[in-house]
Amino acid sequence: MPASALFAATLEASINKLLALDSDSKARLNALDGSRMTAFLSPIPFGITLVFSDKVDVLIEHGDFEEVKAQLGAKDCCIKTSLDTLPALKETSQLTRLIQQKALYLEGELNVAQQASSLFKDLDIDVEELIAIRTNDVFAHQSMKTVKAIHEKSMSMFANMGDVFGNALVEEKKLAAHKLAVMHFSDEVSALRDSTERLDARLRDLEERLK
Amino acid sequence: MSDNQTSSAGDVHSSSKHSLSEEHVLENDVEQTAEQATDQKTHFGFKQVEKEKKASLVANVFDSVAAKYDVMNDLMSMGVHRLWKRFTIDCSGVRAGNKVLDIAGGTGDLTAKFSRLVGPTGRVTLADINLSMLQVGRDKLRDRGLVSNIDYVQADAEALPFPDNHFDVVTMAFGLRNVTEKQNALNSIYRVLKPGGRLLVLEFSKPTSEQLSKLYDMYSFHLLPKMGQLVANDAESYQYLAESIRMHPDQDTLKGMFEEAGFEQCDYQNLTGGIVALHRGYKF
Repeated sequence: MPASALFAATLEASINKLLALDSDSKARLNALDGSRMTAFLSPIPFGITLVFSDKVDVLIEHGDFEEVKAQLGAKDCCIKTSLDTLPALKETSQLTRLIQQKALYLEGELNVAQQASSLFKDLDIDVEELIAIRTNDVFAHQSMKTVKAIHEKSMSMFANMGDVFGNALVEEKKLAAHKLAVMHFSDEVSALRDSTERLDARLRDLEERLK
Repeated sequence: MSDNQTSSAGDVHSSSKHSLSEEHVLENDVEQTAEQATDQKTHFGFKQVEKEKKASLVANVFDSVAAKYDVMNDLMSMGVHRLWKRFTIDCSGVRAGNKVLDIAGGTGDLTAKFSRLVGPTGRVTLADINLSMLQVGRDKLRDRGLVSNIDYVQADAEALPFPDNHFDVVTMAFGLRNVTEKQNALNSIYRVLKPGGRLLVLEFSKPTSEQLSKLYDMYSFHLLPKMGQLVANDAESYQYLAESIRMHPDQDTLKGMFEEAGFEQCDYQNLTGGIVALHRGYKF
């Protein structure tokens, strides 16, 4: 079974499900109708093509960036970057900087990349409303309140942990003994151990003589 | 006397010669008739049937299973047929504006996707020899709102009713093994493909591992007809399915047939251990 096909099927179903949850996404998707965007994201070994119509179709591209570049149509675009750089693409103002840094290669219609970026970036899904449809308003409200509280608490906990580690690194480091002092202390401990061993040997010698 | 004897011996000789050549002719006739009879026959599953009858027998099978075709496909393959078809589409290289022919397209799984990929400037032709399958496919695609760029054609793969050099991509998923003269079908597809176009044939094939082959045999000859009986109330059609898969040419033979039709850069990729293979060939 081709794993890439399973990956594409899962990705396609997820994208379309998410877009269906935001009624405003339809207008953004319409703006992309008929265009396609191929992304090569290292370390993923194949390209991923998004074909936009009334839904998003996901195809796996087995050719490389150069091959796709050669076949680009008027409403197509192709990007090559890494998964780590992907979050930075949310800010379209960063595109030029990333291209200059050679962290991003972009061929074809820039508008398609920008519109595709905003299609996903501007997703606004009312989760509480979705839960309320399946259950009731009170349950949905309470669930969301609990989730938000847990989220806030865990975020403040992570922030506190960050502070603790930050303090440990910045403040405690100042109080820590210098490397030379530690070496001097180690030498003194070794000298004391040697003196103790000598004293022990002399005492045993004296005991032998008294016998 | 001696002349007579000679003559008589000569007569005997010539008569025996005559009867020998007659025998030879008779043997040749018998062989030719046998050959002709074999030429007139083809396999329908494990059975030998008259060539003219195969199409109608296959038609009966698909008339019988058309309504439950999608359910049975999902059930039999545990949904994996969707991934095989998706892989075929990934390999098709279809672009906006392309003309695509989906032969034996059945219930339109490939056509639905191609319709969106080629967009309003492209065209997809769903062809199937079986009217029942075509009707199920057309209804399904129309229900999904796919109407603008799809044509439906009842056509025999061996004699495609399209002009020469017409399509950018031709696909045939799980249809070739039901065709009576597979080579004729490949020749016909070659004719309708544009230079630079490609043919993709997704078909059951020969498992690459011995263990998988045994397991697969057990599944297809014992479990499959029972599933067919239970879901589609038709064990025979699914028995035929299992038999027709075994009678279908293996990966390398089919690749050779592609080359014989004129296709170039032919290759195949085994999927799920060779249970299915995707063959690809280009017309240049």
